Amino acid sequence: MKLARTTAALSGVVLAATLAACGGSTGNPNAGGGGGATGGAAPAGDCSSAEVFCVGMVTDMGSVDDKSFNQSAWEGIEAAAKQSGAQTKYIQTTDTKDYASNLKQFTDKKYDVIVTVGYVMAEATTTAATANPQTKFIGVDQAQAKVTDNVAGLVFPEDQAGYSAGYLAGLMTKTNKVAQVLGMQIPPVEKYAKGFEAGAKAANSTSNVSIVYHPAGDNAFSDPVWGANAAKQQLAQGADVVFGAGGKTGNGALGEVAKAKGAGTSTYCIGVDTDQWLTVPEAHPCLVTSATKLISKGTSELIMQAKDGKMKGGDFTGDVGLAPFHDFDAKLPPDVKTKVGAVVKGLSDGSIKTGVTLG
Amino acid sequence: MNDTSTTDRPGPSPAGPPREQGATSPENRRGVLDVLARFQGVLVPIVALLVAFAIGAALIRLQGVNPAFAYTTLFRDALLTESGLLRTLQKATPLILSGLAVVIGLRVGLFNIGAQGQLLWGAIGAAYVGVHLAGAPAVVILPAALLAGIACGAVWAGIAGLLKAYRGVHEVISTIMLNSVAAGVIDWLVSFPLKEPGQSIPRSSAIDPAAELSNLGFVPVGFVVALALAGLIAWILRRTTAGFRFDTVGANRDAAHYAGIRIPLVVTAAMCASGALAGLGGAIETLGVVGRYETGSSAGLGFDGITIALLARANPLATIPAALLVGVLRSGAAGLQFETGIQPEVVDVLLAVTLLLVSIPVLARVLFGRRARDGVSLTSGWGS
Repeated sequence: MKLARTTAALSGVVLAATLAACGGSTGNPNAGGGGGATGGAAPAGDCSSAEVFCVGMVTDMGSVDDKSFNQSAWEGIEAAAKQSGAQTKYIQTTDTKDYASNLKQFTDKKYDVIVTVGYVMAEATTTAATANPQTKFIGVDQAQAKVTDNVAGLVFPEDQAGYSAGYLAGLMTKTNKVAQVLGMQIPPVEKYAKGFEAGAKAANSTSNVSIVYHPAGDNAFSDPVWGANAAKQQLAQGADVVFGAGGKTGNGALGEVAKAKGAGTSTYCIGVDTDQWLTVPEAHPCLVTSATKLISKGTSELIMQAKDGKMKGGDFTGDVGLAPFHDFDAKLPPDVKTKVGAVVKGLSDGSIKTGVTLG
Repeated sequence: MNDTSTTDRPGPSPAGPPREQGATSPENRRGVLDVLARFQGVLVPIVALLVAFAIGAALIRLQGVNPAFAYTTLFRDALLTESGLLRTLQKATPLILSGLAVVIGLRVGLFNIGAQGQLLWGAIGAAYVGVHLAGAPAVVILPAALLAGIACGAVWAGIAGLLKAYRGVHEVISTIMLNSVAAGVIDWLVSFPLKEPGQSIPRSSAIDPAAELSNLGFVPVGFVVALALAGLIAWILRRTTAGFRFDTVGANRDAAHYAGIRIPLVVTAAMCASGALAGLGGAIETLGVVGRYETGSSAGLGFDGITIALLARANPLATIPAALLVGVLRSGAAGLQFETGIQPEVVDVLLAVTLLLVSIPVLARVLFGRRARDGVSLTSGWGS
């Protein structure tokens, strides 16, 4: 026992000494909130002055390296900062009840542009925007039902991205069964889902599309275990192409399909939002492509507009598309690639309509 | 005969007097340790907290930030601004209540893992009344909404209580499963029958303004209620027959049975009381903070109650400082990140280390040697 106490005392002394040795530097109140990720940003200045352009971001329940919306938006901010020399910082939300207070951190310091990520933050964003008319807000994935002058909602025609992915799935399926494993049933996800269904039917009118949404809202986008189980069920019921759309939940589905027999030869999966070839390596065996929203591009475009004083309130439609096929580029039949390419083109020039309406 | 019984008695131990006579320093030191050991219930958590903060300081230092500056920022943001203080107290309120819920269970030897489900039921029950009694005066709708939350939580926990009392189903198993059932059912409720018309996020309509629990300056009314309840429960457990019965069943079920305590009744009552507290926590979240039921807004609060109860070592009054600590850390985390770039997860590290040191008996042993009391005996319910 005596030994234990001595050891404890010793380790305490060592710890204290280590701390003292590292101490001495002063806290820098303007250290980047990006945890060093701000790169070569200009030395910290006062955001309330006209010369200093400050961009802040409040994440939606997750970190900026979530391989999804938060990360894409943050990358967009970084890109815009490089162009404009903006000072950037983010706060990671850990409790949905903190949206307002996290936004307040930025408005208190007179940030010029504040980016908020995700549909569920729409209300908090509008409230903060009304209270701070001088500040520009960019709401990623926040459709603006009512126009607020200083809020731009970055929205995407997910149905188009889903349609292209569904079209590809319709061409690929041998069993005539394709499946979707989805996160929460909210408009952006529903648009993907309905677009996917319409695309699959357009490619192959006899195909059967099954749709499963995550049943409980709390963790609808962060439940890979459920996603994997749902994918497993769909495979067992004969589906041979699975579209996983719902954050980590969808990633779980992709990972499960990648482990299935025939992954990459008779069974495929399609990712969502970003090029998941880069973000979900475990899905490589089955991942043909991803239905993407170009969030980074849209975010940085809007920031540059805001800097030039040209940002308008209301919806701003960003681009969607299909991610590169990567390893599957060589494996896909050429006629499939041409047909899908034609559909993607047709959607973007408006000659093909998805026919998706929510309601 | 008399002699043996005195030597067996704890307290001013037979080893005490000779030690007091001795004037040599090691014996004096032992005397000090004896005194300190008497307060180990308070000292162990404090030392645990200090160790956690030291480890946290090292982590913060590693990221190139001065720990003193980081901690000052954290506490200033959580305590010294009016909005920060309000947020801190709002965060502490449901934690006190869910902590008390778990404490009550522990005192009867039950480990109520189900505070989360009970809290969610409380939150949705209060939201239902707050929406559907709209137009009623505040004196009607507010108490009705609170009572609805309490009742929903109590009924949900009561299921586990009855299963335990009359069918011997282990409460850890039943409450864990009931959590999942609650999450599923409530999510369905809020996605379909109770969903706000025209809204795409699963959430209820906003409650009637008359049902809102207001704040007195920077003090939420709910916080005052939680403080009062902590005091009331401490008093009940310490001074009333019911409290004595609870503790007796918790300490030794067989002896309690032999003494004529009706164990099934006590078990069911304790679970209902536990659920009522968690339900009230949920109701206060709905009425005082969120203003509606919104999926995800109460995520984890019930599970945090377990943390609080363990930190408080099953002492109802100690849930207050424990919940305040968690509230301060959580509420200051955003300001910490804004000023220094330190990720908010550092707060979870602080809490986890503290909890680990408090709940395993190692720290007490290291500090007090064999004078250490064992860690809290958490449940007697495991084998039965």
